[in-house]
Amino acid sequence: MLEMQNIDSYYGRSQVIHGLSFSADDKSIVTIIGRNGVGKTTLLRTILGLTDRAEGVILLDGGDISGLGTYERARAGIAYVPQGRHIIPDFTIRDNILMGRFAARSGAQGIPEIVGELFPYLMENLDRQGGVLSGGQQQQLAIARALAAEPKVLLMDEPTEGIQPNIVEQIEASIIRLNEELGLTILLVEQNVGFARRAGHAFAMMENGRAVAAGRIGELSDDLVARHMAI
Amino acid sequence: MSEILFIGLSLSSILLLIALGLSITYGAMGVINMAHGELVMIGAYTAVLAGIYLGLNLFFALPLAFLMAGVVGLLIERLVIRRLYGRIIDTLLATWGVAILLQQAIRLEFGLTFFGIHIEGLGPGLQNMAVPGFLTQPFDLWGLTIQPYRSFIIVLTLILTGVTWFLMYRTSIGMQVRAIMRNPQMAAACGIDVRRVSMLTFAYGSGLAGVAGVLLAGFKTVQPDMGASVVVDGFLVVVVGGVGSLFGTLASAGILGQINGSIAVLTNDILARAVVFGVVILLILWKPRGLFSMRSR
Repeated sequence: MLEMQNIDSYYGRSQVIHGLSFSADDKSIVTIIGRNGVGKTTLLRTILGLTDRAEGVILLDGGDISGLGTYERARAGIAYVPQGRHIIPDFTIRDNILMGRFAARSGAQGIPEIVGELFPYLMENLDRQGGVLSGGQQQQLAIARALAAEPKVLLMDEPTEGIQPNIVEQIEASIIRLNEELGLTILLVEQNVGFARRAGHAFAMMENGRAVAAGRIGELSDDLVARHMAI
Repeated sequence: MSEILFIGLSLSSILLLIALGLSITYGAMGVINMAHGELVMIGAYTAVLAGIYLGLNLFFALPLAFLMAGVVGLLIERLVIRRLYGRIIDTLLATWGVAILLQQAIRLEFGLTFFGIHIEGLGPGLQNMAVPGFLTQPFDLWGLTIQPYRSFIIVLTLILTGVTWFLMYRTSIGMQVRAIMRNPQMAAACGIDVRRVSMLTFAYGSGLAGVAGVLLAGFKTVQPDMGASVVVDGFLVVVVGGVGSLFGTLASAGILGQINGSIAVLTNDILARAVVFGVVILLILWKPRGLFSMRSR
């Protein structure tokens, strides 16, 4: 279980997250929704300790990780699929995936089996450079890299943003599969309310760096969406 | 002609050793280390002192200088640079300060001159390192006159470049370094201990500078400010080669060393430096990011 209590998070002097509390049950998909610029990405980055400064408590399975360095949080079982994917363009697909291995607690080597099942294209092109892949393939690669870390919690930031529609479906399916088969807890930042409803078990609605609503996904009413997401 | 090429090649080799360390540290950490030349100087003095006090020749001085410069580099990283990551101008100034500090430490014999104590081998004067006899006798091979010391420099540099390449591209730590060079935040999010790896990288680059210092001591006088000119050359190589590119550093050290060597033999040292600077200016105008810059998007 991932639990955040009273989180404040800052970039330089500007505070982006204000007193946010939030929790995600084991093996659940929690979607974090809200307009652009309300702090969804910053929330994920705060969990990994990638903002300039943060206060508050972050509990992973009961242990406080908020004092740890980013790499220690990664090794504690939190993996990150960032917005924009952050694939290393001149690393091969193999090396991009193996990068995730530095966080694997079991010390496992090589490419995890599940990657081959989910993304056969990657397995067939291990020696191609990451930079030549299409957006959708890079997204798959970023997920594969996160899986190599053997995470308990997967942080995914708009995994379907800017990706051609036929691959969006594949990626959505693989997210659901990772949750159901591997039992991963997934924090999913999403703009697409339709997918948030289909995949999520719970939701958190953010506005101005605060959680303004949270609950079971069934409680995500059209009224809430209209109030906090309509532009 | 072949002799000129040979001299150029040995100059290139030392340049390469100096620039490799700079290139790795600048590439991996975005730190411009102005004290890199002083690490070369420390390597040279290690060789001098090892000769005087331990009776050790060049071959033993090499690993000793690698360790010595590596440890000093490690200390610089831990005490100064670590606190200044991401502040490039500040690191530039701070490491420059460290450079002056190190120079004066040698010049003042760690302050002992104030108490009238003199340590032989230190101080403001010139020192030199004895090169073993069999490395100074030129011999003929297939009609060519071979300078053994210069050959030794070239071979050692080739070996160390090979080792560096192997470490960077064939080991786990090398992959971590390369990942940090390209995306430090993502590297950390993948479980890479960026600080520890950076520290080791810095120490390794410093160690290479120490080795370059020993080699330099074999044909130049050793003095406290010998590092200042050396660090400029090192940066020229890094800038021309492209930051973070091992191959670029190799090519650029080859080109600049060869130009310097050839023109110095044909005319004089001063003109050679002028031409090198001219070539560097033209190359940078033509390719601002260096000959082989790291692709990024």
